[in-house]
Amino acid sequence: MPAEIADEGTFRVRIEDGRHVDLLGTYVLNQLYITAILVLVVLGLAVVFGWLGVMNMAHGEFVMLGAYCAYMVQEAGWHPLLSLPLAVVVTGTVGLAVEGSIIRHLYRRPFDTFLATWGLALLLREGVEVIFGRGYKSVDQVLPGTVDVLGIPYPAYRLVLFSAVVLAFVGLFLFYRASTLGARIKAMVTNPVLAEAVGINTTRLAQWTFVFGVSTAGLAGALLAPLVRVEPFMGLDYLLSSFFVLIVGGLGTLEGLLIGSAVIGGVDTVASAILDKSAGYIAVLTVSIFFLWLRPHGLYSRR
Amino acid sequence: MNSKLPELLAVHELSGGYGDIQVVNGISTRVNAGEVVFITGRNGVGKSTIAKLIAGHLPLASGRVMVCDRDVSAIPAHGRRHLGLGYAPQEDVVFSELTVIENLTLSFPSRSLDRYRTLFERFPFLHGRLTQKAGTLSGGEKKVLSFCRAIAENTKLVVLDEPTEGVQPENIATMSAVVRRLTERGRGFLIVEQNLNLIRETANRVHVLDHGRIVFESLNRPGLRDALISRLRL
Ligand SMILES: Nc1ncnc2c1ncn2[C@@H]1O[C@H](COP(=O)(O)OP(=O)(O)O)[C@@H](O)[C@H]1O
Ligand SMILES: [Mg+2]
Repeated sequence: MPAEIADEGTFRVRIEDGRHVDLLGTYVLNQLYITAILVLVVLGLAVVFGWLGVMNMAHGEFVMLGAYCAYMVQEAGWHPLLSLPLAVVVTGTVGLAVEGSIIRHLYRRPFDTFLATWGLALLLREGVEVIFGRGYKSVDQVLPGTVDVLGIPYPAYRLVLFSAVVLAFVGLFLFYRASTLGARIKAMVTNPVLAEAVGINTTRLAQWTFVFGVSTAGLAGALLAPLVRVEPFMGLDYLLSSFFVLIVGGLGTLEGLLIGSAVIGGVDTVASAILDKSAGYIAVLTVSIFFLWLRPHGLYSRR
Repeated sequence: MNSKLPELLAVHELSGGYGDIQVVNGISTRVNAGEVVFITGRNGVGKSTIAKLIAGHLPLASGRVMVCDRDVSAIPAHGRRHLGLGYAPQEDVVFSELTVIENLTLSFPSRSLDRYRTLFERFPFLHGRLTQKAGTLSGGEKKVLSFCRAIAENTKLVVLDEPTEGVQPENIATMSAVVRRLTERGRGFLIVEQNLNLIRETANRVHVLDHGRIVFESLNRPGLRDALISRLRL
C-alpha cells in the first residue's frame, strides 16, 4: 500500500475514493491500547509470581471477580466509578484471606502453590456461577463516544483506560525504583532471613504484596468489564496471556513486563489481522514456546 | 561476673536444629551490658545454629531466650530486632541486588547516612562504594558492610556470626576497636569467632562448643589462647 507522511505527522493511506484513512495511526493506537490492557492484567501476576514466586493460577479469576464487581455496581444502579473501589475491596479481601490461610504456608513450594491456587480458581469460578449463573453479563460503556487523537476518532473510554494504565505503571516503576518500601520488597524477595534480621516483618510484607497483586487484577477486571463479556470462565484467557507475557518479558522487572506485553499483544494482533483469532492464539503460543526454549529467562530479566 | 550490670541476653538450656536433627543441646549463656562473649569451636559443631536460634531464625526445640529481661522465645526475628537484638549472619550477609547505601539504610526510616559518619572514618572504602550493588563487593567487604549495618542499628545486644571471615587484618583490628569502644557505652556482644587473637584481644568470656554442647568456658585471662588451642584440638 502506498503510504506517505502527511502534514500532521501521521501516516495516511490513500484509498480509491480519495478518502484519507489513518490506517497506521489507528493500528498504532490499537496496538498501544492492547499493550496497555495486557500490562494492566499482567501487573498483578508479575508482582505475585515475579516477586513472591507464587504461580497464581487464580490470577484470571481475580480479574473475573473485578469484572463482576462492575456488573454488581451497574445492577445496583450506583455510579460506575464505584466499581473500582469495590473491586479493590472485594479482591483485596479475598486475597487477604487466601494468603493468610493457604499461600502463607506455601512460599518456596512452587508445586503446592500451583495446586492450591488452581483449586482456588475452580472454587471462585463455581462460586460466581452459583451466585450469578453461567451466562455472560454485559456492563454498559461508561464513556460512550469518541475523541479525536491526532485526527483519528478514538473511543473515549479506551483513551481513559490507556492513560490510567500509563500513570499506574509509571507510578509503580518510580515507587519500586525509589521508595524504601520497594527496596524492602526487593530485600525480602532476595534474602528473607536477612530482611527479618534487619527488622522487616516479612510475613506481613508478603501478605500485603500479595493483596496488592490480586487487587490490581481486580481493578483490571473492573476497568475491562465494559469492553468484554463478563462470565465465570473469562479468567482463563487472562491467565494464559499473562503467563505468556511473563515468559517473553522475563520475571522480576517492570521493563520486561512492558516489552513482553508489547510482543505478545503485537504478535496476537498481527496474526489475528492476517488470518483469524485462533491464528493469533497459535502464534502467541509458538512465540512463547520459542522463548522458553531459546531465552528461558525472558528478554529482560535480572535473573 | 559483675551481676549488677543489666543482663542483655540470657539463654537457658537452649536446644534446636534442623527438622528432626538436633544440633544444639542445652546451651546456657548470658551477656551483660558492656560485655563481649565469644563462642568458638571447630566447623560444624553448631555455632551458627546457636546464633540463628537466639536471633529467631530457627524454632527452639526447648529452652528460653531472654533479651533485655524479656522472654523472646516465641517472638519472630524482626520482633527481636525491635526489642534490642541485632544480628549479622555468617552467610548471605548483604542484599546483593541492593546498593551499598540501600543495604546500610534499609532498616531506618530515612536514607540519611549521619549515623555512619564515624564508621565511614574507620572503614573508608565503604564510603567510596555507596552506589555500587552490594553483590559486587568482595567477601570480606560484604562482612564489613554487614558489621557496620548491625552496629549502626544501635541495638543493646549484637549477635555477630564470624564477622571477620575473609576480612583483611587491619579491618579486623578496627572491628575489635569498635566493639571495645561500644561496650564502654553499655552495649553487649555475642560473637561467633574462630580467630583466637581477636578473641584474646576482645573477649570478656569465651565458650568452646563441641557437638552442640559447651565443653569449656573461661574468662579472658593470661594463657587463654593456649587453653583454647588445646580445647579446640580435642
Ligand atoms: N540448613 C541446614 N539444614 C540441615 N543441617 C544444617 C543446616 N545448617 C547447618 N546444618 C548442620 O548443622 C550442623 C552445625 O552447623 P553450624 O551451626 O552451621 O556449624 P558451625 O557454625 O559451628 O560451623 C552441621 O552438621 C551442619 O551440617
Ligand atoms: Mg558457622
